[in-house]
Amino acid sequence: MTMEDKLVIALPKGRILDEAMPLVRGAGIEPEPEFDDPKTRLLRFTTNHPHIDIIRVRSFDVATFVAFGAAHLGICGNDVLMEFDYPEIYAPLDLGIGRCRLSVAEPVDLAEADDPRRWSHVRIATKYPEVTRRHFAARGVQAECVKLNGAMELAPSLGLATRIVDLVSSGSTLKANGLKEVEVLAEIASRLIVNRAALKTRPGEMTGWIDRFRAVCEARHAA
Amino acid sequence: MTDTAIRALLPAGLRDLLPPDADYEAEVVARVMAHFGAQGYERVKPPLIEFEDTLLDGAGAATAAQSFRVMDPLSQRMMGVRADMTPQVARVAVARLAQAPRPLRLSYAGEVLRVKGSQLRPERQFGQAGLELIGSTAPAADAEVIVLAAEALAELGVPGVSVDLSLPTLVPALFAELRLDAAARDCLREPLDHKDASGVAAAGGPAAAILTALLRAVGPVDAALSVLAGLPLPPAAAAERDRLAEVVALVRADAPDLTLTVDPVENRGFEYHTGVSFTLFSRAFSGELGRGGRYLAAGGEPATGVSLFLDGVLAVLPGPKRPDRVYVPAGTPRPWAQALRAQGWVTVAGLMPTADSVGEARRLGCGHVLGADGVEPAE
Repeated sequence: MTMEDKLVIALPKGRILDEAMPLVRGAGIEPEPEFDDPKTRLLRFTTNHPHIDIIRVRSFDVATFVAFGAAHLGICGNDVLMEFDYPEIYAPLDLGIGRCRLSVAEPVDLAEADDPRRWSHVRIATKYPEVTRRHFAARGVQAECVKLNGAMELAPSLGLATRIVDLVSSGSTLKANGLKEVEVLAEIASRLIVNRAALKTRPGEMTGWIDRFRAVCEARHAA
Repeated sequence: MTDTAIRALLPAGLRDLLPPDADYEAEVVARVMAHFGAQGYERVKPPLIEFEDTLLDGAGAATAAQSFRVMDPLSQRMMGVRADMTPQVARVAVARLAQAPRPLRLSYAGEVLRVKGSQLRPERQFGQAGLELIGSTAPAADAEVIVLAAEALAELGVPGVSVDLSLPTLVPALFAELRLDAAARDCLREPLDHKDASGVAAAGGPAAAILTALLRAVGPVDAALSVLAGLPLPPAAAAERDRLAEVVALVRADAPDLTLTVDPVENRGFEYHTGVSFTLFSRAFSGELGRGGRYLAAGGEPATGVSLFLDGVLAVLPGPKRPDRVYVPAGTPRPWAQALRAQGWVTVAGLMPTADSVGEARRLGCGHVLGADGVEPAE
């Protein structure tokens, strides 16, 4: 088997992985035991299919690996896909996992007197500067973004920015930090993504995997 | 100027090609052009830069955002540097070769310059080699162009060539039939581009059902054609679909082993195309190797063609073999070196006498040296 015939699947570390693994296993892909060892330092794992490997990277990097063709399939949230907007990524399947919202939040006391329709300029701390800028540009609002990689909720209280744009699922993190969700940018769920060239040059194989994941999702939906 | 500035750096997306790669690129271009030439395509050479209004007219309009502009101090008019050679060749065909018999077969090779690279393909200057077939609406013309391009790549040694066929007019025809307004079309374009079925279903409104069905047609050619055949398409779109099936049958007949896929919703990069269009891929490369398709040249003349992107093609080829070089010490009679070149050696002449000609040969990258008893390995 040559290098070209390897199939690499990129999975995101963290929260989504726990929800994604039942789907991956349901599709008939079983990683080596090392995969479930939380202390492992391995980044690349073999599977029960000799030509399929799994890599485990940050969810933003899942998109980059797949866009460049370094991985052929991947799972990541459409928050990441919206932020990068890579033309080389196809997202054919909504996996129905990792559901949450991408929202604007601001301090509770500010929210009481605030009317989002009257904003003309906002300063926002976020991991998603592109999505944020696009969203506000479409509304005619100037958005000045401060890019952070985590702990956005700290920004308003420390004066880094007045508002944040971040993923919200239950809202408890916001609440604990004195913030309130005031506007939803997008509904988020994880997608099965494929590299465009891989789908074009290995069509039978890639559509086969997409169909298997679709069948697994539909079966779960029905159950 | 500082030292760093002298050593330095080219603008982003531009680069120097060094030995042996520069030679290799020229060789690849020559082989592609010979392949096209042998099948009746005659080479033309338009200029690097021309007036903006002719360069960006018609088929060129799609490259407007990608073209560098300068002002011509002589005529005081704006000129554009070509970002794609196809519109230039179409202009040549219609303006200079209007009297030439149709179908007109032209080929070209040259460099193009673009304002911006993409993250996946940062090159802003790269080589194009291509052909245009002007003045025929026959499906055989579409098939000829596809087969020639795929053959050219296979002959160069590109592994696992595949052709992705698309119908850029199909989705607009559906939109028109369903009377979708511009805003609704814009909302659908993004999920369609990413083959995002749930996004299409959410934004589709009256078009959702048929567009989701079209997304299921993305894939291997036989399955795709049968899905397309079962769809209730409006007459304009149905005509496109039938034409695609005809072209596929002709390509199959000429190139039975070529991998064909269909993507009826692909639109990006096909802004000026009016019929069956295609993108060339290789299993060994994650980018595009070329693209082409049917369009209207100035004056509404039907045309189809293809451009190969040489940066991609070179990336997937195994790369140059350095020729055998032999060091010929200073003072060797010229006919001796000539005799070696006639045998296929590349000779590198010494300019000054040297005591250690083997060492000198190695220093200059020669595997061999001309000694007293003829060519010897430089060891």
